[in-house]
Amino acid sequence: MALQTQQIHGGGTRFRRTPLGVVANLLGWALLIVAVLLVLTPVAFMFVASFMPARDILKMPFSWWPDPIIFENFWHAIRGNDGRFIFPRALLNSVFVSGTIAATTVLFSTMAGYGLTKLRFRGAGIVFLFILSTLMIPFETVMIPLYVVITNLGMQNSYAGLIVPFLLSAFGVFLMRQSLLSFPDELLDAARIDGASEPGIFFRVVVPNLWPVMAVLAILTFESQWDNLIWPLLVVQSSELRTMPLYVVTFMEEKSTNEGAMVAVAAISSIPMLIIFFTLSQYFIRGANVFSAGKE
Amino acid sequence: MSRRRLTVLSFALLMSFSIALAQVQVEYWTHEDPNRTALEEELIAQFHAEHPDIIVTRVTHPSNTLAQLILTAFAASRGPDIFNMETFNEYPYIVNQRVVPVDPVAAGFGSYDAFYAAYLDGMLDPVTVGGVPYGIPLELTNWAIFLNMNVFRDAGLDPLTDYPKTWEEMMEIADQLTVRDGEIITRRGFDFRYPYYLNFMVPMAQQLGGQLIGDDGESAIVGDEAWLRVLAYFREWGPHGRNLGGPTYANARALFNFDNDDIGMMESGQYQIARIANDNPGFLPGEGWMVVPFPVWEDAVEDLAGAYYGHYWMVNAQSSADEQEAAWKFIGYMTEFAEEFFARAGLLQASQAVLDSDTFRNHPYSDVFMADLARAPAIYYGDASPQIKQVLQDAVEAVMLQNREPAEVLVTMREGVERALRGEY
Amino acid sequence: MARNSARLTVGTRRALWGWAFVVPALAFFGLFAFYPIVNAFVLSLHRKNVLSLQPPRFVGFQNYVDLWNSAQFWNSWKATGIFTVSTAVPLVLVSLLLATLIVSRLRLQRFFQMALYTPAVIPGVVAAAIWLMLLDPRGIANQWVNFVLGVSGVDHKWLASPDMVRLSTVLVYFWGKLGFFTIIFIAGLGGIPTSVKEAARVDGATGAQLYRYITLPLLKPTTLLVSIMAMIFCMRTFSTQYLFTQSGAPREPINVVTLGIYTTAIRDYQIGLASAMSIVLLVVMFVLAFLQFRVSRTQDG
Repeated sequence: MALQTQQIHGGGTRFRRTPLGVVANLLGWALLIVAVLLVLTPVAFMFVASFMPARDILKMPFSWWPDPIIFENFWHAIRGNDGRFIFPRALLNSVFVSGTIAATTVLFSTMAGYGLTKLRFRGAGIVFLFILSTLMIPFETVMIPLYVVITNLGMQNSYAGLIVPFLLSAFGVFLMRQSLLSFPDELLDAARIDGASEPGIFFRVVVPNLWPVMAVLAILTFESQWDNLIWPLLVVQSSELRTMPLYVVTFMEEKSTNEGAMVAVAAISSIPMLIIFFTLSQYFIRGANVFSAGKE
Repeated sequence: MSRRRLTVLSFALLMSFSIALAQVQVEYWTHEDPNRTALEEELIAQFHAEHPDIIVTRVTHPSNTLAQLILTAFAASRGPDIFNMETFNEYPYIVNQRVVPVDPVAAGFGSYDAFYAAYLDGMLDPVTVGGVPYGIPLELTNWAIFLNMNVFRDAGLDPLTDYPKTWEEMMEIADQLTVRDGEIITRRGFDFRYPYYLNFMVPMAQQLGGQLIGDDGESAIVGDEAWLRVLAYFREWGPHGRNLGGPTYANARALFNFDNDDIGMMESGQYQIARIANDNPGFLPGEGWMVVPFPVWEDAVEDLAGAYYGHYWMVNAQSSADEQEAAWKFIGYMTEFAEEFFARAGLLQASQAVLDSDTFRNHPYSDVFMADLARAPAIYYGDASPQIKQVLQDAVEAVMLQNREPAEVLVTMREGVERALRGEY
Repeated sequence: MARNSARLTVGTRRALWGWAFVVPALAFFGLFAFYPIVNAFVLSLHRKNVLSLQPPRFVGFQNYVDLWNSAQFWNSWKATGIFTVSTAVPLVLVSLLLATLIVSRLRLQRFFQMALYTPAVIPGVVAAAIWLMLLDPRGIANQWVNFVLGVSGVDHKWLASPDMVRLSTVLVYFWGKLGFFTIIFIAGLGGIPTSVKEAARVDGATGAQLYRYITLPLLKPTTLLVSIMAMIFCMRTFSTQYLFTQSGAPREPINVVTLGIYTTAIRDYQIGLASAMSIVLLVVMFVLAFLQFRVSRTQDG
C-alpha cells in the first residue's frame, strides 16, 4: 500500500473527435471552472471580510477589495469579548483532543487489526463482526445514553469526557484489518524466527510498514474530531474546556460579537486544517480513495 | 457602611482568627454582561479579602446558552453552587427540588420576614413555593422602547412627539423609518426581541383581554380574538406582510448601541443604558437616543406594559452544607451593593432601598421604566415555561416566515401549550 | 503465568496475544457502543425528567406510542427525509459529473481536486457561520442571484421562508461534502481498467456509448458506496440545522431528527423520550442500510 500520486487519464471519456465533441469539451471546462469558483466563494468571502470593518461586511454590493484594510477583527477574535483569550485556548483544546483521539484510534485500531488478522484465535471472526456491527451505530443515537455513562464515570466537563468516547473507531479497526489482510506473512515469520516477541514484531515490523495507511486514518480521525460539535455541546460547561466548534457557537451568541470578529474567528478556525490540507493533500486524497478501495 | 456590613466584617475577622481555616470553594455561573462582570469581579476580590476561607469562581456564558449548560450540568449532578437565570427557566429547578431555600441568616437578612420586607411587594412571588423563598433577586427588568432620535430626524419625524404610542402607530412609524433596497431591508424602523416571546408577545395579547393560561390552569391561549390579532400583527410585520423585520435579521438590541443607521427602535431594559455608554460613549441620552413606554393597542381592554421578569441567585441543593452557607453569604454580600449594581450595570435588585436612592431617581429615563413597571404584568413561569416559550416561537415563525393562516396556527399553538402544561411531548 | 506460558504451544500463545491485542477494542466497544444502546433501550421504557432526582418511572412502550402519535416527531422525519433526499441525490450526481469531467482532462487535475475538496476541511460550524452571512438579506447570495436573474432588490428569503431555509441547509451541506465524494469517484474511475475501454473503442463505440455502457456499469460499486455514505451522512446532520435555528430561522422545516433528540433531552428535559427517538433512528438506519445492501446484491446476482 505504498503511497503514490496518480494522474488518471482515460478513466472517463474524451469527447474531442467531432465538432460536437469540441463543444462538449469547452462546456466541460466552463462547468469545472464555474464549479470551482462557486465552491471557493465562501472561503474567499471569509478571508476578505475578515480584513474589513464590521459595518462594511453586509453592505451592498459586497466589495471584494476591502478599503480600508484593517486587522482589528483578528485582535478582537483572539482576545474574545471578555478579554480572557479563551479562543486560543479553545484552538489548543481542539488540537489536543483531536490529536489524542487520532493517536489512540490509530494505535488501538492497528493493534486490533493485527490481532484479528495475524494472530489467529478462535472467535476472531465473531469479534470482528461485533466491531463491524458497531460501525453501523450513528453517534447521534447513542449520545444521550453515552452522556449518562460519562456522567456516571464522573468525566463530565473534563478532557477525559471529551476524549474517552472516541478513543477508538469501528471504521479504524475495519480499515486496518483490511490493510493487514494483504500484509506479507513472511515478514512476520522472519521476525519470529529471530526471536522477536509479538509486541516487538508489532512495533518494529508492522507499524513501520503500515504507516501510510495509519497516517490516512490519523488524518481522517483528526478531521472528524476537529469538526465535532454535538458532543462538546453536551459534555462541556466550563469556558476553559471549550473546543473550537463549541467556542465558535458560543461566540456567535455573545452580544458584543460583530460580523468582523465573527468572520475573523471563522478564518482563524479554518487555517489549521487548511495548512494541514495543503501540505498533506496526498493523504487527504488517499483518505477518500480508501473508501472506494475498501469495496474491493 | 451599613450596620449589617459591619457585623459581617467583624464576624469575618473573628472567623479568620479561628483555628479551622478550611477553605470552601464556591462556583458561580452567570450570563455574560460586561458591566456586571467588572463589578462582580471587584466584589469577589473584596469578599475574599473579608472571607479568606471562601473562594468564589465566577464563570460567564452567553444568555441564550446558559439555560442549556446549567441543565446538562444539573442532569449530571454537577451543577454550579450558585447560578442565576430568568424566572421562567428557574422555576422548574424549584419544583424539582434542585435548589435550596434562602438561608436568611447566612445571607445577612436575619429572618424571612426581614428578607421579604427588604424587597418590593410581589417581587419574590416567582421564587416562593410553599411559603418559602428559593432565590435572591439579582435584577428586576421590564422592557420599554429605546428609540434612536437620529433615525427619527432623518425620516423627518420629531422623536419627542411622534414616537409610537400604540401598536398600530408602531407599525406605521416603523414602516416610515424602514429603508429598503427593493425588498431588502437596510434599516429597520423597529424590531422585536426574538425569541423572548413570553416578555413581549404575551402582554400584547393580554392588553386585548387574552390569556396565556386560563384561570383553571389547564386551558391555554384563552381569548381567540386577542391572540388572532397578535398573530396577524406578526404576520403583517414579517416578510410576507409589510416586510419590517423578523427573527432572521441581526439582533436589533445589539445593533442599536452603535448608532449605525440600521435600526430605529428596539425593546430592552434599564441595563441597556450602561451598555450603550460602554459600547458607544458618544451616543447620548436625550440627544442620540431616548426611551418611551411599551405601546398599547388602540382598543386595548387592559393598560399593560411589557412583562417584568427577574433573575434570581439560587443555590444548588446538591452542594455541601458548607458550600451552601458560603454561597448564601456571598450572595448576601452582593445584595449590599445594590446601588452599585444599578449605577454601574443598570441592574435593579428591586429592593426598596435602591428605588429610594438618588442614583436611581437621577438615572436617565427611570421615570419611564417605573411608570411602565407599575402597569407591567409578571412574566409567565411554571414547570413547563421553557417549552411554552418554544411553542410561542414556533407559532410566530409559522405566521411570520411560513405565511400560515393565524386561525390555523392558533389551534396548534393552543394544543402545544396545553400539552406542555400536561407534561406531554 | 510465566511458568505456564513455556508449556503453551506456539499456536495457543499466539492466540493469547491475539486476544491481548483485541481486548482494548472489545472493552471500548462494549462500554461505549453496546452498553449505551442497551441503556438507551432501557431508558426509552421509562419516563425520566432530566432535572428530577426521582428515579425513572417505568412506562413500558408508552414513549414509543407517544412518538407515534406526535405530529412533531413525524415532522422531524419529514424534515430529515426531505433533507436527505434533496442533498444525497444531487451530491451523488454532481460529484459523478465533476469527477468525469476532471479525469477526462489531462491538465489541472490536481488543482481541481484540491479546489473542490477545500470546503471539506472547513469546520462545519465555521461553514454554517459564514453561510449565515452569505445568506443574509444583504449578503452575497441575494446579490449574485439577483445579478444572474437580471433583477434588483429581490429578497430570496434564504433563511426565512420554509422552502428556502431547507434549500439553504442543503446548500451548506452539499458545498461541504461535494469535494469528498468527487474524489472518491475519481478514484473509482481510475480503477477501471483501460484495456476494457480500448477494446470497446476498437469496436467502434462512441464516447457517449462508452461512458453509458462501459464506464457507468463498472463504476457501480463506487456509486453504491457513495450513495450509502451520502445517505447515512445526511441522516445524521446536526450542526447546520442547530446553528440556523439558533439564528432565527424557522425551526419546523429543518427540525431534523438529531435536532429533535437534542432539544427533547435538553430543552424539554425528557430523557426517556429522547432515548426512544434515538432507538427509532437507529432502527431506521439499520433497515435502510440493509435494504440498500439487499438491492445491490440482487442486482449483482
